[in-house]
Amino acid sequence: MADTPPVPDRELVQRARVGDAGAFDTLVRRYYRAAYAVALSACGSAMDAEDVCQDAFIKAIERLDDCRDPSRFGGWLLRIVRNRAHNLREYQRVRSGPPVDVVNPASDADAARATELGELRGRLEEALAELSPVQREVVLLHDLDGWKHREIAEAIGTSEGMARQHLFNARKALRARLGDTAVREHIHE
Amino acid sequence: MNDDHIDFGSLDPLRDPERVERALRKIARRAAPLLAARRAPRTAFQQVARWRRPMLAAAAVIMIASVSALLRFGGSSAESAPPTVAEVVGVPSTLAGWVRSDSLPTPGEIVVSLETTQ
Repeated sequence: MADTPPVPDRELVQRARVGDAGAFDTLVRRYYRAAYAVALSACGSAMDAEDVCQDAFIKAIERLDDCRDPSRFGGWLLRIVRNRAHNLREYQRVRSGPPVDVVNPASDADAARATELGELRGRLEEALAELSPVQREVVLLHDLDGWKHREIAEAIGTSEGMARQHLFNARKALRARLGDTAVREHIHE
Repeated sequence: MNDDHIDFGSLDPLRDPERVERALRKIARRAAPLLAARRAPRTAFQQVARWRRPMLAAAAVIMIASVSALLRFGGSSAESAPPTVAEVVGVPSTLAGWVRSDSLPTPGEIVVSLETTQ
C-alpha cells in the first residue's frame, strides 16, 4: 500500500489560519506527543502536562498569525508549551505547595498491571526530575516522540552537537539513577 | 532502533488512546469558536489591524530617519526661522508689533505705517 506523503506543516498552518478545523486537528495530532513531552519535562506531572498541552494548542490557534515561519510550526508551538508550563509552575508556587498528581484508579480488571505501570511511571518521573530542564526535554523528545537531533536542536535553539551531548548526559544520568534504584530494591528483597 | 533508547513507554500519552481522544476533543471544542472567527470575513479595521506591526516598524524607521536628519542638517540661524502667522496672513509687521506689545500707537504712527505698506 502506497503511503501518501504527509501534508507539510506550512500548508496546514496556512489552512488553519483561514479557519480550517481539519488542518488544525492534523497539527494537534501531529504534535500532541511532542507537546506533552515538553510539558511533562517542565511540569513533572502527567495531569499538569495534559492541561498545559491543551492551553498551548488554544494559544497557538489564537496567535497563529504570529508564527512567522509556518514550516517550523513545531518549534514555535513548543515555545508556547514551555511558556504555559512556566506560567503554571509560577501559579502553583504562589498559590500553594507542590502540584499533586492524581492517580486514576485502574478502569480494567488488570489492577496489578496498572499498579506496576504506575510504579514504573513514578520511578521514571523521579529519575527525570534529577535532570536539568533541557536534558529532560531532549531525552523525551528523542526517546519518547522520536525527534531527530537536528529537529531537537532547532526546537531548543542550540547546535546539533549540543543536542547530542544533552541526550548522552541525560541517558547516562537516567541509567545511573534507575540502575541504583534497581540495586536497592534487590538488596531489600 | 538505537539500543541506547530509554523506554518511556509508561509515560507515553498515546498508551491510553481513549484519554488522548478525550483531550483532543476538548482542544477541538475550545478551538472551534476561534476557527469560526477565522472563517468569518474580516472587517476593514481587522484588515488594517493585521498590518499594525509592519506599520509601527515603518513609522519607527521614518521617525528615526527624520530625527537624525533634523539633528544633522537642521539650522538654528534666523534665515531658516519659520514665518510668523502675521507675515503669512499679510498683516504689516509694525501692526503685529503693536498687538504683541499691547501699547497704543499714535495717529501719526498709524499713518506712517499704512503709507509704508502701500
